[in-house]
Amino acid sequence: MNDTELDQLLDSWEAPPPPSTLRSGLRARFPRSERRRLSPRLGWALAFAAASCTVVFGLAQVNTKPVESHFTELFNHVYEHVTGVMASWEASDLVTRIRESRPKVYFDGQLGPALRFDRAKVVDVDVPGEGRYSFTSVNPKREGWTEAGHIHDKTIQFRAGRKLVRIECASTIFDSDRPVFVKHRTGVE
Amino acid sequence: MRKQPENPLREARQGDEAAFLLLFDEHHPPLFRFAWRLTGSMSDAEDIVQECFLALLKPGCSFDPARSSMRTYLFGAVRNQALKRLQRQEQSLAAEPILFRTPEAELLRDEAARAVASAIAALPETQREVLLLAHYEQLALAEIAQITQLEIGAVKSRLQRARVTLREVLAAWAPQLEGSK
Repeated sequence: MNDTELDQLLDSWEAPPPPSTLRSGLRARFPRSERRRLSPRLGWALAFAAASCTVVFGLAQVNTKPVESHFTELFNHVYEHVTGVMASWEASDLVTRIRESRPKVYFDGQLGPALRFDRAKVVDVDVPGEGRYSFTSVNPKREGWTEAGHIHDKTIQFRAGRKLVRIECASTIFDSDRPVFVKHRTGVE
Repeated sequence: MRKQPENPLREARQGDEAAFLLLFDEHHPPLFRFAWRLTGSMSDAEDIVQECFLALLKPGCSFDPARSSMRTYLFGAVRNQALKRLQRQEQSLAAEPILFRTPEAELLRDEAARAVASAIAALPETQREVLLLAHYEQLALAEIAQITQLEIGAVKSRLQRARVTLREVLAAWAPQLEGSK
């Protein structure tokens, strides 16, 4: 066999074209700036604080209530709002970190369908036979959410109905142990 | 129309997705082929290529345009990732080479392709990657030397040895392929 014949034979082994998911998958994993997401929220918090100050000073002019109590109320409002903004940011950040860590989902030890990243602050998972569940590690403090597991290092584990859901991530999500709050999305099976 | 970025990598690192996709579109087809031929797996090849492009954005990325071209760097990154993966999974292409042709009129050609895939998979790792880069991606010996971190002489001798082995292993296919034309 001469060189040309060998080359011709080698050329019979053709590679497939790159799949379209290569580009779309890369786009999904492109790290978007978290700062941009946070800035408008902090902007709203500052705007809220400025508006509250205006209202307090306005009230102080027409009200007999001592001005200190207005400041306490203002402080409480601002504190609640800022902690709410920070919790919201933390929840979004968690979603990003999980999405970028190539998670694999196991239901009672069996590999299952991929996670859904349709929402900004929670991750959805379709649990076979149990329906769709949302989870987060930031306590939403709303009806329907219960603490059902924990996140540690690269593993997220919680109970969804009768199933034990274990999510293995390629990178660390939290160094320390964190709770997982879960909600059953009724009507979605 | 959007102006072509002067330094797409710098702009991609600053969060410009369009600049990042420009880099990707320019370089990904040969990288994907190389990763696929090394691993024999579509999903592994896809994952490897994505990882290599995302690694460019990380602050600790070792790419230095003064030392190598972007293409050379990316081929090296794909090679390293694929080798790591193969060592981890202890997979062998020889077990089940993947082909994507429809075996009807070109049945013989498909069988030849399968034989070629198996023969290449059976080559020693260093000969295999040199052959893939030289024959399938048509890279110059100097560039292959940079990617594989070998001397040019070593690249040349590995390529020669690979071709000698393949010529022996695939000898039976030459007349058949000739007859199928």
